[in-house]
Amino acid sequence: MVFLHMVCSLLSYGAFLVAFVAGVLFLVQDRQLKHKRMGLLFHRLPSLGALDRINFLAIGAGFALLSFGMALGLIGVRVWLGRWWMDDAKTYLAVILWFAYLGLWVMRLRATMRGRPVAFLSVLGFCLVLFTFIGASWLRPSAHPYL
Amino acid sequence: MHIVVVGVNHRSAPVEVRERLAFRQEDLPRAFSALREQAGLEEAAILSTCNRVEIYAGVPELDGAKDRLQRFLSEYSGLGADHLGQQLYHLTEPGSIRHLFSVASGLDSMVLGEAEILSQVKHAYEWAKGSGATGKVFNVLFQRALNTAKAVRTQTGISRGATSIGSVAIELAGKIFGDLSKATVLLVGAGKVGELTLGRLKDRGVREARIINRSIERAARLAADYQASAMGFDALPRQLVDADIVITSTSAPGYIMTRSDIAEAMRMRHQRPLCLVDLGVPRNIEPSAGGFDNVYVFNIDDLQGLVEHSHQERAQAITASQAIIDRKVELFLSWRREEAAPCVPS
Repeated sequence: MVFLHMVCSLLSYGAFLVAFVAGVLFLVQDRQLKHKRMGLLFHRLPSLGALDRINFLAIGAGFALLSFGMALGLIGVRVWLGRWWMDDAKTYLAVILWFAYLGLWVMRLRATMRGRPVAFLSVLGFCLVLFTFIGASWLRPSAHPYL
Repeated sequence: MHIVVVGVNHRSAPVEVRERLAFRQEDLPRAFSALREQAGLEEAAILSTCNRVEIYAGVPELDGAKDRLQRFLSEYSGLGADHLGQQLYHLTEPGSIRHLFSVASGLDSMVLGEAEILSQVKHAYEWAKGSGATGKVFNVLFQRALNTAKAVRTQTGISRGATSIGSVAIELAGKIFGDLSKATVLLVGAGKVGELTLGRLKDRGVREARIINRSIERAARLAADYQASAMGFDALPRQLVDADIVITSTSAPGYIMTRSDIAEAMRMRHQRPLCLVDLGVPRNIEPSAGGFDNVYVFNIDDLQGLVEHSHQERAQAITASQAIIDRKVELFLSWRREEAAPCVPS
């Protein structure tokens, strides 16, 4: 179960990385179009429509994997520690991450936001992923030293 | 055998001459037979497009080859030999080979780097081959020419970017939406450039076209030409919600789409991207609308600037293209030398 929890969490980070890359490329392409410039990357980048779609799908996949991974983590804590919650920096950050991506995914799904704002937030979201993945261990000793 | 080329292009001869010289596909077998019998060619290919008519010929002797080909073209076109002679160019190896490679690469085209010439050269070769006019040398020559053209296009920026207002607008729309077959285009006003752009978008397979004009009769006439639907100006707010690409080309003195019109439309279209191509002078769309997320406004100067940029990019690629062509010509010539060398028994 721990292994599956790890795999799901890592895969979700991978999906968020894809969303981040699509987001960065979207912002670059959007900027070129807004400034009416055809820079070096203009002819090589996919269309904004394709990047927005990749971003949306990657956020959805990442969120589903993160949810599944977190559920497995909760069940693991319950099975081995006999409680539902582990007081750990990474756990708190993962919950914040989950709500952040839930909000982003729902807003994109309901088309409250599209295109540039979603791309921008997916870039910010990935900063939070990196902080959860690498930075949390610096806050205080973590039960997730490997993640 | 020597490879020579004799022909005219858009620089050497006016359209009145080029159209007299043009060969239709069905004329080619007869032309090749005549070239073999009258001009004594060993191999041949004829490239006939709207901008050029050229005979690539494999002749046993250079002496008199140009005159024989000129006489053939003169008889074929009914143009006087002297008059035609002033407009024909004639190249021998290695210039003829370099010329073919340059033509196939789009370096000799009216629009530098245009892509259509590659398929025209390919067809010229296939038709010559189909008529039995090519042999070993011309088969290799044309395959190398096509290969060179592909190398030039992929390794340099010679065919990059759009070269007209209409094609640049399509390229930009493509960069926003990707697949234009799902896009709806709305033409507001019936200006000529707008109509041409609509035509190009229809050619690219946009899903639906709609036309709005003050004169509904004019809109209906245009709509019939482009399988579009026509409507009056009062339909504009509603159509702004549905359309993906809006082209305006009216002569209205003020903005026909203000910032608040577009803000309202974007709210109603749930922030779906909107590409606004403003071809009007004075401008038809309030420029500050381009500041909204997912709204892309391009006016005539923006499009002109991008066309200019493409021309510059293509011009910068000429040196790199010529270097590739020189290398490929040298490789072809060394193949010819190897083929011509006598076999030494071991």
